[in-house]
Amino acid sequence: MIGALPLAAIPPEDEALRPEIRAFLRDAVADIPPERRARSWMGFNPEFSRKLAGRGWLGLTFPREYGGAGRGAFARYVLVEELLAAGAPVSAHWIADRQSGPLIQRFGTEAQRRFYLPRICRAEAFFCIGMSEPNTGSDLASVTTRAVREGDGWRLNGAKIWTTNAQHSHYMIALVRTGGTAADRHKGLSQIIVDLHAPGVRISPIRDLAGDAHFSEVVFEDVFLPLDALIGEEGSGWAQVNAELAFERSGPERVLSSAVLLDEWARWLREASGVGNASEAAEALLGRLLAHLAVLRAMSVAVTGRLMEGESPVVEAALVKDLGTEFEQLIPVVVADILARPGPVPPGPLMRTLAYTAAMAPSFSLRGGTREILRGMIARGMGLR
Amino acid sequence: MDSLLVRSAEELFSRHADPTAVRAIRAGGSPEVLWGELERAGFPDALVPEDAGGAGLRAAEVLPVLMAAGRFAVPLPLGETMLARAALAAAGEEVPPGAILLGEPLGGGARVPAIGAADWVLLPGDNGALLLPMAKAAEDEGAGSPFGRVLRWPGGAGRRLAVPDLFPAGAWAEVAAMAGAMERILESTVRHAGERQQFGRPVAAFQAVQQQISVMTEDVFAARMAAQLASVPDGDGVAGLNPLRVAAAKLRTGEAAVRVSAIAHAVHGAMGITEELDLHLLTERLRTGRVRFGGEAHWGGWLGRRFLAGDETETLAFVRAHLGPSAPEATA
Repeated sequence: MIGALPLAAIPPEDEALRPEIRAFLRDAVADIPPERRARSWMGFNPEFSRKLAGRGWLGLTFPREYGGAGRGAFARYVLVEELLAAGAPVSAHWIADRQSGPLIQRFGTEAQRRFYLPRICRAEAFFCIGMSEPNTGSDLASVTTRAVREGDGWRLNGAKIWTTNAQHSHYMIALVRTGGTAADRHKGLSQIIVDLHAPGVRISPIRDLAGDAHFSEVVFEDVFLPLDALIGEEGSGWAQVNAELAFERSGPERVLSSAVLLDEWARWLREASGVGNASEAAEALLGRLLAHLAVLRAMSVAVTGRLMEGESPVVEAALVKDLGTEFEQLIPVVVADILARPGPVPPGPLMRTLAYTAAMAPSFSLRGGTREILRGMIARGMGLR
Repeated sequence: MDSLLVRSAEELFSRHADPTAVRAIRAGGSPEVLWGELERAGFPDALVPEDAGGAGLRAAEVLPVLMAAGRFAVPLPLGETMLARAALAAAGEEVPPGAILLGEPLGGGARVPAIGAADWVLLPGDNGALLLPMAKAAEDEGAGSPFGRVLRWPGGAGRRLAVPDLFPAGAWAEVAAMAGAMERILESTVRHAGERQQFGRPVAAFQAVQQQISVMTEDVFAARMAAQLASVPDGDGVAGLNPLRVAAAKLRTGEAAVRVSAIAHAVHGAMGITEELDLHLLTERLRTGRVRFGGEAHWGGWLGRRFLAGDETETLAFVRAHLGPSAPEATA
């Protein structure tokens, strides 16, 4: 059975980053209306990413020799939770900063590190992740996109879908088959960096239910990639992807996706009703959400603490994500209900923030591994399978 | 220190608070042996300041002991006695011998648990609290239920003492006991699912059952984290308790208790409803703990009002300032 999560605290030297970040954000997001800020880590704005890069806040955890700040996971935790709480548009650099960069740092060659990491830190290289395919969703090992060795490179054919920001990104790190067949499952998979401007790459944005086009279908037709497009070891794609996911599942982005809505509602409650005049139901609901937020944040920080100690708390991370996304999905449901009570007319921006968050909330528990997959991982951790 | 303390508590409870002993005390049997062992180990004085003869521990340090008591569904007010003795000692009052229940003021009387023996009831009032002898209590006959009984002291017995309001402290003790009980319920549910065979295989082999136990695991982890958060001693209450932390933890643990109990009973099937299985000792501990010293509605409203009247206008800022994983983080 999995052990308890001991409390972990953010070290003071990392907390020290917070005031500067908060001061920056007060100006940087002041003019963005809440219904835009509600897009959270789906809000795409390269200029904002460049501003962060200018402050040295991209690639915070990357080594200094590659343009990073050489800080630890807790420094990034502080940065990310402030960015998300404020609803800053972080999507352009998000994947590169969180996932692709660390992956290249860990599994890449020296040449790959020297090429990609400084560009990520300067907001000049945006990444997307090619995992799902038209016939591959939760069953990720069934990918059929294939890279075949040909002369001094790889020939890539296949298609990826639901790829966030593919149409805006410079590179995709794709999970592809370099050997065997779909029946070989985890064996024969590799990760490959695709230059999305290479001939034969066709990207078709897909409009989502909120009218945004944040994801795309990407088709590869005889795309030729150099040999050094391979990242890590040939055939080790599955293990590499899983190492990547442990870092992805327990961060503040699994707790704060509805933070803008929660704060807008709380602010309106304070302003509209005046102190002492909010309804008892609204007060109790607010208290309930605060209690959940406090416990989830402590769990998320605790998992980060374990990661910092070099452990791989995959099951604990899955558990934080499942609970955290449940909380994120609860917020629009209960706020909609409480605002449906008779009373003062809620402001338009609050209602539009609610409408956006409520409509997109189902995706919170799909991205990064569905509930069912996560619960399967927890069950395995508990020795049930 | 921590693990040594909890190991000795676990050992004491396995020897003197096994399900047979717990059932006997619940049925009205004498708690003398178990309580005597607890006194001998010094647990009831754990929070009493060292200069007053106690161990001078803080909330976080005794949490594992109270969770262990929860795992065994110990039907005695160990946490409450710890808190009451600490508060009395800190106020310079004499600490009486024996177990002390914390009463919840109700209609001029004190609501106390239906099960559990004690020598005293400490009842908060307008100016301090009353220390009331159990021996002189009269039970409000119409008001008793498995959730608790209401006691009155017709003669107006008791001494008025200058101790702070222990209502949040009582809630903290329930949080600790519930978190411990949930740990044990999870262990027993996983074990049962692995042993019980249906359709020719253990029920744990069914995905529907696995997913439910995963949800239960999440809530047990959340409850345990809530208990740890509530025990960070950055408040000015007894043992360093901070009512804001306790409020959040009591609410979250109460919610977890509902879901954990429901899934545990679902997985155990009809067997879990029998007197013979120990499961009900633990799920009953959750049912009573959830509503004692304020449930979700009470603490939710209380916490919501504190936020609305406070300085932080953002929820994350409020959580960082008051409900973070360590004593006050730097605020900006």
